Amino acid sequence: MPTSKPRPRTLGAPNQNLPIRDIPKEVASRSGIFAVCFCFLFSIAPHFFNLPLWVSGIVIASLCWRILENLDHLKPVPKWLLATMVVFGGLSVFAEYWTVVGRDAGLALLTVMTSFKFLESRSHRDLLILVFLCYFLIATHFLFSQSILTAALMLITLIVITATLITINQRDDRVTILSRLKISGRMVAMSIPLMLILFVLVPRIPGPLWGITDEQRGGITGLSNTMSPGKISNLIRSNEVAFRVDFTGLVPPQNKLYWRGPVMSMFNGHSWYRSKRNRISQFNIGTYDEEVEYTVTLEPNGEHWLLALDIPAQLIKDSRMTADFQLISDNEINDLRRYTVKSRLGYQIGKYELLTYLDLTSRFPRNNNKRTIALGQELSRRYQNPEDIVRHVLTMFRKEGYVYTLRPPILVDNEVDRFLFDSKRGFCENYAGSFALLMRAAGIPSRIVAGYQGGEYSEVGNYLIVRQSDAHAWTEVWFKQRGWVRVDPTAAVSPSRIEQGLDVALPNEVSSFRIRNRNPLFGKLLYSWDKLQHDWNDWVLNYDQHKQGDFLRDLNVGIEDWGDMVFALMFMLLLVTGSYWLASYYRERPPKPEAYEIYFNKLLKKLKKQGLDKKPSEDSREFLRRIDSSEVNQKSQLARIVDLYNLLKYGSARQNALALNNLRSLVNSIKL
Amino acid sequence: MALISPVIPNSVRRRIDQWISTRNPPSQGSIVLESRRLYILPTRFGYLFAVMLLFLFLAAINYQNSMAFVLVFMLSALAIISLWQTHKNLLGLSVSLKTPRPVFNGESSEFVFRFSHANNAFRYAIGVQYANQPPAYLTLEPEASAEARLKIPSHRRGQFKPRGLYVFTRYPTGLFHAWGWLKFDLPVLIYPKPVFDSVLQQTMVAHHDGKTSTSTIEGDDFAGLREHRVGESLRHISWKAYAQGKGLLTKTFQGHARPTIWIDWSGIPDGSTETKLSYMTALVFLAENENLEYGVKLPGQTIEQQSGTAHRQECLHAIATFRQQDFNQDFDPDANQ
Repeated sequence: MPTSKPRPRTLGAPNQNLPIRDIPKEVASRSGIFAVCFCFLFSIAPHFFNLPLWVSGIVIASLCWRILENLDHLKPVPKWLLATMVVFGGLSVFAEYWTVVGRDAGLALLTVMTSFKFLESRSHRDLLILVFLCYFLIATHFLFSQSILTAALMLITLIVITATLITINQRDDRVTILSRLKISGRMVAMSIPLMLILFVLVPRIPGPLWGITDEQRGGITGLSNTMSPGKISNLIRSNEVAFRVDFTGLVPPQNKLYWRGPVMSMFNGHSWYRSKRNRISQFNIGTYDEEVEYTVTLEPNGEHWLLALDIPAQLIKDSRMTADFQLISDNEINDLRRYTVKSRLGYQIGKYELLTYLDLTSRFPRNNNKRTIALGQELSRRYQNPEDIVRHVLTMFRKEGYVYTLRPPILVDNEVDRFLFDSKRGFCENYAGSFALLMRAAGIPSRIVAGYQGGEYSEVGNYLIVRQSDAHAWTEVWFKQRGWVRVDPTAAVSPSRIEQGLDVALPNEVSSFRIRNRNPLFGKLLYSWDKLQHDWNDWVLNYDQHKQGDFLRDLNVGIEDWGDMVFALMFMLLLVTGSYWLASYYRERPPKPEAYEIYFNKLLKKLKKQGLDKKPSEDSREFLRRIDSSEVNQKSQLARIVDLYNLLKYGSARQNALALNNLRSLVNSIKL
Repeated sequence: MALISPVIPNSVRRRIDQWISTRNPPSQGSIVLESRRLYILPTRFGYLFAVMLLFLFLAAINYQNSMAFVLVFMLSALAIISLWQTHKNLLGLSVSLKTPRPVFNGESSEFVFRFSHANNAFRYAIGVQYANQPPAYLTLEPEASAEARLKIPSHRRGQFKPRGLYVFTRYPTGLFHAWGWLKFDLPVLIYPKPVFDSVLQQTMVAHHDGKTSTSTIEGDDFAGLREHRVGESLRHISWKAYAQGKGLLTKTFQGHARPTIWIDWSGIPDGSTETKLSYMTALVFLAENENLEYGVKLPGQTIEQQSGTAHRQECLHAIATFRQQDFNQDFDPDANQ
């Protein structure tokens, strides 16, 4: 039990008119300024990757200045200079982005202005506002990433910011940083169950409430609109997950997992690109079988395509399907997107294709790649049946020393010619591109389909992981009898790419991103980690009004409408806060009184019966003195009791059993 | 004291303050801040925080950003926890006021408030504020106590009751302001400033009523002066030496002969009421000091001749409060603005 040492504090000088409501006007404490500087640095640091270098520079410079000023090494920045800096800061942001709204420009502006705010912060109130800005900064991080790791980092940031707020409000500089972090950590930990209740039960409103402008966001890896040599092989090096798929039934075999992305019908002699006209799907007349249903959780790709297995057979919400079977989202996919779709793996499409489109997919510039064009024309003369031409080219790829490699030689001008006749080393884009051009030269309509091929089945979560490294390109050719038929020339060169994946096809060139090749224990961990991310996507990032409704229905506790939800919300919040209250009551309740206190209180009771009441403001000695001047028997014993009590409580006799015994017998001997 | 947000109109505020004061009866010794005595409202920063949360919530809906929802709910939960902890920071706090020592007019009376609690927890940033003075902040360790000393200069004699002490806290987050009023019914007695006058002393001698044969005041019984020790009765203090600026000295006596006198209002020649009372105060101390039996005669009030600490207190009380209302400064928040 700690000894109670009264710590006298003198109330301030009188006659200063400072009404209570103006407490925040007081000057900020030094420790508070340090804490807020650190807090801001901690909150903004992950953004240094998202901000232009000069903005990060302003942050560092402002914080350094403020800290040195706080240490009395520097003078405050003059007002006129600060005003100039604010104006130039705003103009610089505008010069950088040509706007001051939107995610990136808004963040830069907020960061610059907050940094300058530090330079003029003097009062307690300023510090509080800065801490609020730090809380706000957490939200901006979620505009860039909503991953588990970001969430974990933000949880730590939240603890740091709250500790800063506590530092400002604690008014006791003797408290260590560690114990402030502990207090804050406990508050945050206690907030988590309440947050979960609110997250699950606060009725979700479908957004958006106001228009969101599509904004080009850099730094997202994914398939692009055009295909030229080198584009996909760059994508291959990324182990980022492109999407995850939960199948309703069995997962189809690997060689049927062609995930259809952008379809490129135009060729300019160098690259393939999409036709500007996205015809909608009224001409998709065909026959289908082998239906599969699955749910795709698509990571943001900054583009419009929704990946689906060849051939998607269903329209999904907020999207349309083009005549060449691309699923095109209405909005750019900048956030996680989840959709359930049906595909048919056996299909016949485009048998009655428009002549204009067939004409479009037969065109090619004749002024380069002349050897390839010549070969195509020769083939068309040699074979009557277009399918023989296809077979011939695939045999050529298989037999004539073509190599499948991620690192083809860099070719300039007439890339197709040089690849087909000289280097013979290429990646899927080289094979698909040259094959399609050969077909067109031979008079067969053809087009390129970019997308992903394959995927890794997760043993832990029963779903398919498709990574950027599974990116692929293949071709479709048009036959009069069969319509559009998928031909994957890569399969001719390297069957294992299609059957088993890139890492098996090119074991020396790619470090495998697949988990199955790892050591089993580590692999299990990685699968679990991926499963966690999948669940995170499913349960946290996709928790909208539909998911909420499904979840509450599945809970089967009778929560059916908004009223039930609000009622359940209140009930749960009261339950949790009530249990907190109980827990803290038991944890913080006063300890059992010491034995000597019990005996002493016994004595006080006896004295009280005699009309001698110890006042709370009196200490035991003062009380004794008062007893001394009154008419009470056994005064000497009373004096001894008080002495013993004080010895036990404050003096050398603490915990002394003999002294305690003495006290007890003395108290018992008092008969008034 | 505009403790309640300025948006609330004055008339309502006054009514609320009145309601508060009826719920907070003054106490003699110690007051425990129970929930009945505690109030809590958001601070301006609390309102600002709420606006920020609303803004974030709308943004979360608009962008359907799940983690933004998580953040909004997390911060709301933090505010709920904070509400409870701010309230808890004052709840169960026990404040006692030591009986203040009487002072002479012109001196500062000192009020020592002792803040204690039995909880096994820290209490930080407990603000203590009196009237318009800047607040002081206390930290209470588990089961410990702390003191706040309040010095109030006196300007008039009589019984002075300080207005309520304002105890508040914004710990831990500054989003909420919890407060309570502490009013103690322990007035401090302010004696008139004593004025010693040698002529008057002689007059007093002349007023001896001759019950005893002793004719001199400073008789043989006087044994000498020594340093005054804390706890000794005030009646042994040599007030003469005190008046000469020698500090507190205790007189030791041997004799027991007790001359008696009347300290009589009408016997003091002239001067204002206050001057007369100042003389009378000095005479009470002198008489007590000289070990006389003395009584006080005031218009409409007579205290019989006697001696002893209790008697002296009675006399001084009568003199200090003569024709003087207690100044009860109560909770009226606008009284000194």
